[in-house]
Amino acid sequence: MIYDIRNVTTYAYGRPVPFARCVLRMLPREGGGQQVLSSQITVSPRDAERQDGLCFFGNRTTTLTIARPHRELRIEMTARVAVERGAAPFPAITRRWEEVAQLALAAQSLGADSPAQQLYPSRLVPLVDEITAYASESFARGRPVFEAASALMARIRAGFSYDPEATEVSTPIREAFARRHGVCQDFAHIMIAGLRGLGLPAAYVSGYLRTIPPEGQPRLEGADATHAWVSLWCGPETGWIGLDPTNDLIVGDDHIVTAIGRDYADVSPLDGVLVGPGSQKLDVGVDVVPVA
Amino acid sequence: MPIQGRSGSARVRGERRAALLAGYRPLAGAHDELMAPDGSVHPRWEPLLAEWSALTGEQLHRRFGLADRHARDTGVSYRIHGDGDPDDPLAGERPWPLNHVPLVLTGAEWRTIAAGVAQRAQLLDALLADVYGRGSLVAEGLLPAAAITGSPDYLRPLQGTPGAGRLQLYAADLGRGPDGRWQVLGDRAQAPSGAGYALENRLAMGRAFPDLFRTMNVERLAGFFQGFRAGLVSRARRVEPRICLLTPGPLNESYFEQAYLARYLGFLLVEGGDLVMRDGRVHVRTIAGFKRADVIWRRIDGDFADPLELNARSALGVAGLVEAVRRESVVVANGLGSGVVEARALTGFLPRLSRAVIGEELILPSPASFWCGDPQARAQVLERLDELDIAPAFRTTDEASGEPVPVASLPAAERARLRETIARRGLDLVAQERLRLSTMPVVQDGRLTPRPMTLRVFAAATPDGWQVMPGGFCRIAESGDGRAVAMRSGVRSSDVWVTSDQPVEPVTLLPSRDAIAIRRIVGILPSRAADNLFWLGRYLERCEATLRLVRALLGRLINADDQAPGHAEAIARLARLLSAWGAAPAAKGRSIVAQAASALYDVEEYGSAAASLREARRTASVIRERLSVDAWRLFGDLQRQLSGPRKPSSEGEAFEIADSALKSLAAFSGLSQENMVRGAGWRFLDIGRRLERGIATCRFARHFAEASAPDNCLDALLDLTDSQITYRSRYMVGVELQPVLDLVMLDPYNPRSVGFQIERLHAELAALPSLSDNGMLEEPQRLAVRLSAEVRTAEAARLDRASILLFEQLLMGLSNAVAERYFLQNARPEGARATQLA
Repeated sequence: MIYDIRNVTTYAYGRPVPFARCVLRMLPREGGGQQVLSSQITVSPRDAERQDGLCFFGNRTTTLTIARPHRELRIEMTARVAVERGAAPFPAITRRWEEVAQLALAAQSLGADSPAQQLYPSRLVPLVDEITAYASESFARGRPVFEAASALMARIRAGFSYDPEATEVSTPIREAFARRHGVCQDFAHIMIAGLRGLGLPAAYVSGYLRTIPPEGQPRLEGADATHAWVSLWCGPETGWIGLDPTNDLIVGDDHIVTAIGRDYADVSPLDGVLVGPGSQKLDVGVDVVPVA
Repeated sequence: MPIQGRSGSARVRGERRAALLAGYRPLAGAHDELMAPDGSVHPRWEPLLAEWSALTGEQLHRRFGLADRHARDTGVSYRIHGDGDPDDPLAGERPWPLNHVPLVLTGAEWRTIAAGVAQRAQLLDALLADVYGRGSLVAEGLLPAAAITGSPDYLRPLQGTPGAGRLQLYAADLGRGPDGRWQVLGDRAQAPSGAGYALENRLAMGRAFPDLFRTMNVERLAGFFQGFRAGLVSRARRVEPRICLLTPGPLNESYFEQAYLARYLGFLLVEGGDLVMRDGRVHVRTIAGFKRADVIWRRIDGDFADPLELNARSALGVAGLVEAVRRESVVVANGLGSGVVEARALTGFLPRLSRAVIGEELILPSPASFWCGDPQARAQVLERLDELDIAPAFRTTDEASGEPVPVASLPAAERARLRETIARRGLDLVAQERLRLSTMPVVQDGRLTPRPMTLRVFAAATPDGWQVMPGGFCRIAESGDGRAVAMRSGVRSSDVWVTSDQPVEPVTLLPSRDAIAIRRIVGILPSRAADNLFWLGRYLERCEATLRLVRALLGRLINADDQAPGHAEAIARLARLLSAWGAAPAAKGRSIVAQAASALYDVEEYGSAAASLREARRTASVIRERLSVDAWRLFGDLQRQLSGPRKPSSEGEAFEIADSALKSLAAFSGLSQENMVRGAGWRFLDIGRRLERGIATCRFARHFAEASAPDNCLDALLDLTDSQITYRSRYMVGVELQPVLDLVMLDPYNPRSVGFQIERLHAELAALPSLSDNGMLEEPQRLAVRLSAEVRTAEAARLDRASILLFEQLLMGLSNAVAERYFLQNARPEGARATQLA
């Protein structure tokens, strides 16, 4: 599947900002069944100083320095990405989940894709006893890891209500869990907390979903904005597999990955430091169109 | 009558020694530093006991008092974590609890400790290089990856960066077990604190017992700091590098120590807001523009160092610092990421890592420690869990839960839960054997009593390798087995004396004679320091103005038979001005004494003397390293004079208080005039004072010197501006409007006049550095020139309320222009992270 993606993010400030430095994580990632055919970022003000790089997790970063007063920061990202992930493994043949936890602990690598990187609580994903207990209901002793995780994902999809008004980026997962509602970010964080609480390595993935569904299928939640889901390490043979708890979907060719991290804080599309007075208004527009 | 000799007779000395040791018994099962189980004193303590026995109880007590006074005078203090009040940074500071008994260790014993600590520093440094570099220890199975990745101090963005985690200063927390062997209880690799406190303890004890340092050949500490500084200098790219100590700010628990070390080592004390990235380099914002920073000795956690690539919520760091480190345009010490080796998870792996990495056995062992993420260790732990202590494997943000807890002390239900947690997520926990700490004497109720203690020992990377401070930071628990000895309330610390067999060469921080380049003005003034000095000057002057108002008011009340015209009118105006000033509530229905008391003591009234003093202390506390000990002492005096709620019983008493507080303020002015180098720092203090005085004087003149003002109002104006004597010596007639206005507003020879303040401002501003060399006046200078011309060409006959108000407004405009040009402009991390998510 080949997609054209366009994301326009605009920050409007109440008063001119004389100086800003920020890091963008908006360009799609290479690898993992994904090939970036073309991609670029256009920034206004145009004379922003830019530097492209890769972060620890292999996500593409763009550091911006804007050294003159500006009232608006507009970032337009366009990319063409080919996705072909291949079929997910048959759940019942994956390793027992306890075994996977044990193997992750014994990992002999500090690389970005090492399961050891995704075992611990992180800034936005603390371990919460209630969430661990909730998750453990799907993890009977000896159950194959992928099967159990899929069951957990289905329970989150069925048991939580999707409500873009209910939470913000800063809503703690405890609260979203207690109220059983939220958006993709909350569901992903909650599922990660549950998996890590059981000792399983789970990562946070940000990206996009195809906007227009194939004929005869319903439009998916989260198709008009950036999306987020979970990646679970299922053992050395299977590696990492994507699970989308917002839609109860195994991640296949409808998902385009932008960035991978421990939680949203690692992949936030923009982190920055501004000099000057506060108030800002944010607008994001997203299009994901299949071209072939 | 026999002369009371210092030493007394042998019999007297023997009795005193016995009295000192009376009742001192080592605790069963613990090693004691002073005494063997049979009650004999370890020989290394004998010279100390001999000296102390030569003193009477009272003499000894007086010596202890000298040490305490030293600590108090230098303002040495610490802060209890979470005790801060952003409005008053001094609120949570505690005086330093010094135990008057030093910990005495022999040179022979010390050599083992020093070798062990240096070895450990070397090992951890190598470990850090590998973790952030090749990762071979993990790949070879010597160290599980998960024992690293669980640490919040493992900074992933530093992976592959040269110098990541590199140690410059390392500290080990040691305890001595019942067998007399020293063991390592913890590693401090992030930003170890305590070295400055050790130095402070040494200075205090040196004040009390100067002779003992010589007779016992106590090793000096200065050489260590010299080595540490040389180590930092050697890593910089420039010959005379600018070294900054990056502090989290005055609310940090060890801010005093940071300010103290910055002054002692000659480093620039900066906060994150003082630093800025431009063109790939880190700069300090100064009054002369951006100046390059070569080395940053950080006292903030690595994770907080850069909101761009590390913790986006940090307001303490410098945006882009990681990138600057990557480009090697700045040296950060300890290297970012160093904190990862503090994790308890690693302790159990260190013996085998030591063999593998440096080919040596550890000189100093640690109590047996088991990371429960390891299946074998976990099995062992579950077998004998009740005999062990349990602790988090990694630093947690919750300070309280960080210390090891004996499992046996937990209720049965919690123990069962713990077993379950270890089985499910053992990776978060470490179990370890308990070390019964040794005890040392403290002075308690005039006698020596044994208390458990720990010893923090410091190692610095110097051009000649690892150098260990011959001494350390010894902390003493108040009771119990002293497992958790932190600097919390009631915990004392001791100086540590390492005695040598030979006389000790004195070392100072001064460089050798031929290496000294003569300098008159040192360094640059960071904008933040300029800002605080400016406001210190303004608040002190504002405090003074309020006190003068109070004194003028009460003086008139006391002098009730004053028959000068307008006596009552002057009193009414003074009282009104106190309210208008914000120093006292609206006057209606309140007695004058009550108004005066509010103006003196009531911190709720923003214009009161007490409120201005509080603000002055707040600004001063942020630039602690720039103020002398004497200045701090004066703050203490003023604080005592102006602290309520002691209400003055009479006008006379309140008058006395205002008068004596004015004397202390005059002493402060004297200090700054006579003892402060005329650098940019002094100029900003002076600019603040002059501006405030100019503005206040205009205000006084507007209130008391209109065309129809009665004599006593003009008289009050002369009081407020301290110009009575000058006026009387010049004019034989009574008070007249125009001569008074000339003296108070225009006279350039009267140091209290507005004209004088303006000339000083003009001169100070002209002496400050400018940003460009194009010959154009900067805004503050431009305004000062204008003010100067206005005041020089003005005539007393034409002065009226409107023209005085114009001077006042121009001075306020000048204040804004100074702030805009020289001070930090509100730079802060912005939560630009909000975004829309599906």
